[in-house]
Amino acid sequence: MCLRSPRQAALKKIRPPMEFASYLLPLFQLNVIGAIALGTLGGLIVGALPGLTATMGVALLIPLTFGMTPVMGLNMLIGIYIGGIYGGCVSAILLRTPGTPASAATVLDGYPMAARGEAGKALGMATIASTIGGLFAAVVLATLAPQLAGIALKFGAPEYFALAFFGLTIIASLSGDILKGVLSGMVGILIACVGADPISGVLRYTFGVSGFASGFAFTPALIGLFALSEVFTQMERLALDPGRAMPVTGRWPSRQDMSESKGGLIRGSLIGTIIGIIPGTGSGTASWIAYNETRRSSKQPHKFGTGYAPGIAATESANNAVCAAALIPLLALGIPGDVVTAVLMGGLMIQGLAPGPMLFQTNPDVIVGIFGGTFLATIFMFIFGMLLIPLFSRILLIPRHILAVSIVIFCFIGAFAINLNAVDLYTMVGFGVLGWGMQKFGFSQPAVCIALILGPMMESNLRRGLLQTGDDVLAFVSGPITLLFLGLAVLSLVWPLIAARIARNVTLPSE
Amino acid sequence: MLERKGDIWIGCGLLAFCAFAAWRSTMVKSVSAGTSAGPTFVPWLMIAGIAILALALVIRALRSQDLSRVDLPEKAVFIKMAALAVLMVAYAAAFMAIGYLPATLTVFVIGLWLFDERRWLVLTLVPVGITGVVYLGFTEFLNVWLP
Repeated sequence: MCLRSPRQAALKKIRPPMEFASYLLPLFQLNVIGAIALGTLGGLIVGALPGLTATMGVALLIPLTFGMTPVMGLNMLIGIYIGGIYGGCVSAILLRTPGTPASAATVLDGYPMAARGEAGKALGMATIASTIGGLFAAVVLATLAPQLAGIALKFGAPEYFALAFFGLTIIASLSGDILKGVLSGMVGILIACVGADPISGVLRYTFGVSGFASGFAFTPALIGLFALSEVFTQMERLALDPGRAMPVTGRWPSRQDMSESKGGLIRGSLIGTIIGIIPGTGSGTASWIAYNETRRSSKQPHKFGTGYAPGIAATESANNAVCAAALIPLLALGIPGDVVTAVLMGGLMIQGLAPGPMLFQTNPDVIVGIFGGTFLATIFMFIFGMLLIPLFSRILLIPRHILAVSIVIFCFIGAFAINLNAVDLYTMVGFGVLGWGMQKFGFSQPAVCIALILGPMMESNLRRGLLQTGDDVLAFVSGPITLLFLGLAVLSLVWPLIAARIARNVTLPSE
Repeated sequence: MLERKGDIWIGCGLLAFCAFAAWRSTMVKSVSAGTSAGPTFVPWLMIAGIAILALALVIRALRSQDLSRVDLPEKAVFIKMAALAVLMVAYAAAFMAIGYLPATLTVFVIGLWLFDERRWLVLTLVPVGITGVVYLGFTEFLNVWLP
């Protein structure tokens, strides 16, 4: 019975049709639509270039959204996310190098198609599949997120602690090496402790630097971890041969390709959406599982890996379905669904918005705007994708060294623009070097990122809960919701082992 | 470099970091807040956790027979990367001190040089063009103040 009232309150905030329509109005302004289109196009280019990921694109452009309205800024970032994940297929198909980890499975069938002169067809199939997966997940996002937020409104301090703890265990599934993943997360939590204590206000580990009183600034840290560190990596990579892109002819897949790919599209969209909702799993996992399932259930499994369109349909529909689905836990529970949504949290914070169920009560216009923006960005992705297919091989020719130095400049302006504070620049450089080193030695940058977000949430709710219950630790493990999240946390820790078993079962076709 | 050798070094570094963090934690004022969990409660938990896991990392590396390698950059590339890091610190210092335009132009030219660009036209026109466009974009369209 308790559940009903807040849940209805959350739903009521965005359900009446007239109100819903009025919340959509800010979305349909020319500058907002333009920002979404630009974001999607920018994301597509960033994703297409090997080594530049959607995560980097979002981290780099968060500060640009500073002066924008929440609907405009957040949807531009979502556009970069959606465009970036899709863009990864371009270099996967034309260069045999996935632009983003999400497109790694696309290489298996995309490159062989390109090699036999069907690059345009492969890119066309990837575009159509990404659009179908993206639109399907966007419908699920708009339907499921309000329901989940309604339930989350009932949470108290112990539940939020359990939720944050669950989110932190995602670290295990984000890193190939659990030990290094958890270590990265713990270091991240300790870094997040710098600054004023959330309960008593006592300063911790500030070394007398006034700029650290409110802790390390989150967005400069993100820009350093994900964007600046990439510049160092680019410097290493440029010493290697970047490869030669396949020529592109044609654009549309044949009727037979579409007919054979129906199953892959459905499976990919479903798997991508489900995987996206599970925090911490991400597009890479979804596309591999979708590929494996589609091949397993196909009547012609031997064709997979030889340039077979259904292989591309499965992987691309899955990885783009993850984009909208990963927004569900972010918006409804305040915990990121994958690495990019963890970075997207920075975009929400810049706008002064705290992701979580209260956002549905306090800013229903933003929520509805994000739902609508996700649809729009997916449609723009389709339009730009189909229009640019003949030009994709030229995008890959952008001089990478000029791009790398330009990224440094953007990083600095972005980090500076948030607080107009030079300390943030040093923070960003520090995190950039740290991020490169972590990447090199197999530690997890996303784990540090998630710990920076969820560490303070976990600490404040743990201590607030202890304060309210008179240090009763049992209060943290007695409620059904806390038990559910703690159970999920255990599952999250076991997930890498399950994933490893799944990966072993995927027998890759010979090249 | 062998990955396990790197892990031993990193594990030892993390243990040293824990010792440092523990020392700094003793300097944090303890405040009575109605609960036994004070301002250093979570930091101490993390310090203990990191120390245990760092030790586990070292032990695992010592016992491992794994021959996986970490691809560290060649000496020449590494020197350039170090120079780029120093350039970034200098840029951070110069950003406020001498202003966006001169600092960015200088960093852009040196940055391109570090990336082995030697064509003088590219070294002059590209920095001027991009620095100017970025400046106009941020100050005029996004209303961001740049020093």
